[in-house]
Formats: sequence, structure tokens, C-alpha cells
Amino acid sequence: MSVATETLPALPSTGALLVRAALTARGRGGDTVPAVSVRVADVAVDRHRLAAYQRLTGFPVSDTLPHPYPWVLALPVQTALMVRPDFPLALPGLVHLSSRATGTRAVDAAEPLTLEVTAGDLRPHRRGRTVTTRVEASAGGETVWTCENVYLSRGPGEDAAPRDAVPDAPTGPPAARWRLPADLGRRYAAVSGDVNPIHLHPLTARPLGFPRPIAHGTWTWARTVAALGRVAAGAVTTHVRFTRPVPLPSTVELVRAGGDGLVTAALRSSRDPGGTHLVLTAER
Amino acid sequence: MTTPRRAAVLGGNRIPFARQFGAYAEASNQDMLTAALEGLVARHGLAGERLGEVVAGAVIKHTRDFNLTREAVLGSSLAPTTPAYDVQQACGTGLEATILVANKIALGQADSGVAGGVDSASDAPIVVPERLRRKLLRLTRARTTAERAKAALAIRPTDLGIQVPGATEPRTGMTMGQHMAITAERWGITREAQDELALASHRNLAAAYERGFFDDLMTPYLGLTRDENLRPGTTPEKLASLRTVFGEGDTATMTAGNSTPLSDGASTVLLGSPEWAAEHGLAPLAWFVDGETAAVDHVSGDEGLLLAPAYAVPRLLARQGLTLQDFDYYEIHEAFASTVLTTLAAWEDPDFCRDRLGLDAPLGSIERDRLNVTGSSLAAGHPFAATGGRVVATLARLLHEKGAGSRGLVSVCAAGGQGVVAILEGA
Repeated sequence: MSVATETLPALPSTGALLVRAALTARGRGGDTVPAVSVRVADVAVDRHRLAAYQRLTGFPVSDTLPHPYPWVLALPVQTALMVRPDFPLALPGLVHLSSRATGTRAVDAAEPLTLEVTAGDLRPHRRGRTVTTRVEASAGGETVWTCENVYLSRGPGEDAAPRDAVPDAPTGPPAARWRLPADLGRRYAAVSGDVNPIHLHPLTARPLGFPRPIAHGTWTWARTVAALGRVAAGAVTTHVRFTRPVPLPSTVELVRAGGDGLVTAALRSSRDPGGTHLVLTAER
Repeated sequence: MTTPRRAAVLGGNRIPFARQFGAYAEASNQDMLTAALEGLVARHGLAGERLGEVVAGAVIKHTRDFNLTREAVLGSSLAPTTPAYDVQQACGTGLEATILVANKIALGQADSGVAGGVDSASDAPIVVPERLRRKLLRLTRARTTAERAKAALAIRPTDLGIQVPGATEPRTGMTMGQHMAITAERWGITREAQDELALASHRNLAAAYERGFFDDLMTPYLGLTRDENLRPGTTPEKLASLRTVFGEGDTATMTAGNSTPLSDGASTVLLGSPEWAAEHGLAPLAWFVDGETAAVDHVSGDEGLLLAPAYAVPRLLARQGLTLQDFDYYEIHEAFASTVLTTLAAWEDPDFCRDRLGLDAPLGSIERDRLNVTGSSLAAGHPFAATGGRVVATLARLLHEKGAGSRGLVSVCAAGGQGVVAILEGA
């Protein structure tokens, strides 16, 4: 199957795209994903936004892009793909299930990045259907970061659908305990551009089925990667599974296991240590 | 007790210095120190290495940064088993940290270490006024609702406000510039001489960048590759056109051009024993020979606030059996151009050397073309605690270029009427 590439002149505005996504949510369907890549060339990193992201996610303010940062940079590109009329799933209500990102080297904020997002397969899931997107960031023609994301569109599911094998969360005493404030979703929305209402406020989350706003999965991913330090920087593959939403405000605990080559980390609720929010592996 | 051995300066790394509210406005002390340290680690292949100690500090420091240096170590690629501690001796912090690390190496208590410093004038902690602080603490202590209500009601709208820390001497209420203006006038330091020194600082620093002198002493940070304050194209006319900012009336001589600007930045220096250096394939740039500190009574007005190095240097020379002329390079920190010129004038002055230093003869003059040959704080900027590391790394590289046995003198004045000085020898 050949994939056509649609090149946008600049990063679109995520806010405007999300409005379009909401207006065109009804009536989407079909079993095929458009065979298209959406691409924006030579995106310059805004250092103020990067510094705000680094501060909010626990990275040092530096020239090196945090491992998950290209996901944030590419969010408008991915959103542009998902609001195309021929995209089969409605964006509002999509649940981020997992991401598997590979950095090939440290990326400097001064390097313009070309961002390309391609939609992958539709697959059955026991709670609906999933779609995969592949994000690729390249600098000067060299691929420096790739990421496969899986999103769930809730609906009639297939019980027989294969399940993703999530590694066991490490157990034992916490390595860190973080108090996540009620406004974390709003603060992360401001630095990431991900203004999904389920993250912002109880009043905006409730109509979408969440009694309290939930933390952005990509914030929990970034905060966990930041806590792992140098073992999850530069040339590394992280595979994160978002197993249960983190309501805001709440207190979560980081647990980690493993050493040099492979680290497994998890976030769990401090009230209910059995309740795992995220399991992440970092492999070098 | 082991016999002292020599401590070597093996390298240095700093980030370019930025002007206040410039390129590093968003960066914290910890961010900058981590960046400078990580660059040092990368350049010298120290990832995963356990060093003897990392010693650094900041002059303007938030209370949450009580373990600033240790946190920077944990954010770097050094082994997390590397211990660290913070020091603070105002603008002498970086040089004092170097002396401490070198001493431990000399005594065999450590084989390697990093000395450094960092300061941000942009990301400064903000403090509430003292009266409000006391009332808020009383509110925190209150146990009953009645006590709490009483304490809360005591807070008046007029108590509200914030205070940004400044460079004011606590006991005199005067800024460093105001102090220096008094000293400069007492010594008759002219505007022309100050502007000339400032011009030389910019030209020397620019020339050093041009010849790649800083290539292995610096890591770019947040888009900066050179010191933000550097004005390679500045001219005597431009400097002469600036209005005076310290001192009063016709006798005022100090301008924004011949005074250091508030700056942000961080620096680090790698030190080690000769054996440790050899094991790690590192060649010493210079040997740390000796250090000395001094303080003056600026509170009574007996001596100028920034003149303590004038007292420290002769003590150091006497201990080492050297004269002021026995040096190939002099690094005298340019807090203000007039600080350098007053210090040099004091050493040339028979009365000062006799009455104040107790010497039979003046220390004499130095060859001015050996002074701050790759620029100093007037051009580079002066993030207080980061200046010592900048100077030590710069001088070590200069001495290494000059050859084994060459000698350099470092002099740094500091708030509180203090001064830190040191001698390095080329390796």
C-alpha cells in the first residue's frame, strides 16, 4: 500500500483542529485508515515552551529535548491527520493506551525537526477498536526519533481480541512520591497544546464520563522518564502503557526495578498500591 | 598524616554567561550548574565515574536549593555515589571551592574533585517583607481558630509586597557600586583609565573567542555560544558617552560600561592528583600552588569594601617567597574597572604598602599586558559564584600554553569586605 504525503506549510493550531474534531465527530466510520502521512518540515523548537515543559515534567532546563518531547511537538500534526474527513474514528473520546518511542541520539533544541505522522492499522479491542499512529522526527534527513502510539475508540468490542502483554509493575517501596495538583491538567495543556477537556476541570471532564479531570498520559510518561534520569535519555526506547487514568488531584508513587540495560518503572496510587496507572520500560 | 602532594587543574567547563533577564531568564541555578557540570563530564569522559567530591555554590540561593551541588551531581552523568557540598563566600565562592578541593587532593583525602559555582540574577528567589514574614509565621504557629483569626487579621494590606534581593551590603545599606565609588574617588581613579580597562576586557575576550581559546572550556547553553555581554565592536567613544551610575556629581566616574552587569551563568573546574589524572588519560594544565583569603573592615569605613585582595596577595607572596613581578599572567577579577585599578595603585603606593601592609617597600607595578589577557568580568559578565571557576580554568589553559613552570596570580574581591587569591603554575 502506497502512502501519500501531505505536507503542511506550518504547524496547525491544535485548538482550531480540536474544534473541527468535535464538530465532525458524528458520522465517522468505516474500516479503513487513510493511506496518508501528514508532514511539517523544519519545525523550530520554541525555547520558552520547551523550558516550561521541562520545568513542569521534572527535566532540567537544557538544550537537550526530553525523550518524549517530539510527541508534544508533533501533536498538531497528528491531530491534523485525525480530523481528516476520511479518518474512521472520532477524535473526542479517544483513549491513549500506549506509546513506544525510540530515540537514536540526543536532540538539540537548535535542530529544526521534520515531523511526519502516519496512521496505521485499525484493530479490534475488547472495549472497541484501536488505531495506531506512527510519528517520526528527523533532523537534516536523519531519523532521530520514532514513536508508535495506540489509541482506543470505545465502542462494541470483541472479547476474543488479543490483549497487549503489559509487563508486571515492580513492587516494593516507592522510589518517589509525587503530589499532583488539581490544576496539573491545565498547566500541562498550556505547555503541550493538548487541551482535551477531560484534563482541564471537573466541569469539562464530567460530560465526558470522568467525575474528576485526569492527568495527561503524556505528562505521566514524561515525569516518569525525567525521574529515571540518564538511563532514559539519548539513544533509548521507552514503551509506556497507560493502564488506568490518574485522577486530579492525587498522590502517586513511582516504583522502579532493573538496572543498566533495562529499567521497568510504574506509577501507582498511593492510596491503593494495587492500582497501577502506568507501566514503562526503558531499554538501551 | 600524609605528605602533601600536588593538585592539578585538569580542565574546566562553563556555559556562556548571559545578561540578567537574557537567554537564561528561564533557567534555575540547578539547571545551569547541571549543564556546566555535564559538559565537563562529557569532555573528560567521566560518565559513570565516582569523583572524590563536587564543591560549588551560589550567592543568591533559594532555601529549597540547600543541596544545590548534590542535586546537580544527581542530574549529571557522574556516578550518583559522588558526594557534594555547597560553599558560599560571595564572589569568592568559585575560587574558594577550588582551594578546598585542591587542599583535599593535596592531603590525600581525595583523588579527584570538581569545583564550581553558579548564579542567576534573573531567577532570583523573591522574599516577602520582614513584617509580613513574621506575621505569616505567627499564623502558621496558631493552634486554635481564635488564634488563627487573630493572626490573620493582623496582616494588613500594607504588609503585602515582595522584595527582590539586591547587591546591598547589610551593614552599610550601600550597594557595592556605591562603596566602590567612594574608594575610587579616594584613590583618584580616572574615568579614562576605567574605560580603557573596560575596552581592553572586551577586545581581549573577543580575540580569545576568535582564536578558539574557549573551544574546550565551554559548552553552549540555551542557544548561547558566547558571553551575551561581550561587545566586540565597542569603542572608546561609546564607553565615554555612557552616563555615570555610581558616585555623585562631577567626580563620578563609574558607568554601566566600566562596571560588571548582573549576569547568569555557571562554571566548573576539574582537579585531580597526578596519579588520578594519569589513570584517566588526562594531562594536567596547571598545578594549584597556594591560596589565601583576607578581609577588611569596610563597616567602619577604615578600608574600601573591595580591597581585601590587596591584603591577601602580599601575604601569599611572602609565604611563597615570590614578588609581585614573578608572574606571567595576572587574573584580577573586574568587579568594576576601578577595583582593578585601585588594587594595582595600592600595590604601587609606598604609604599604603608601609602603613597598611607593613612592608618596607611597595609591591610595585605589573606589566599591564599580562593582566586579564583573555578578558575578564567587564566583558564576560559576572554571575557571582561562577567567576572563580571561569578564572581558574582560563588561567590554567593560559599557563599550559605558556609552558611548564609559568606562573599566574588570581585575585577575586567579594562582598562583606573579603578577598580570595591564589597562585597556579603551568604544567
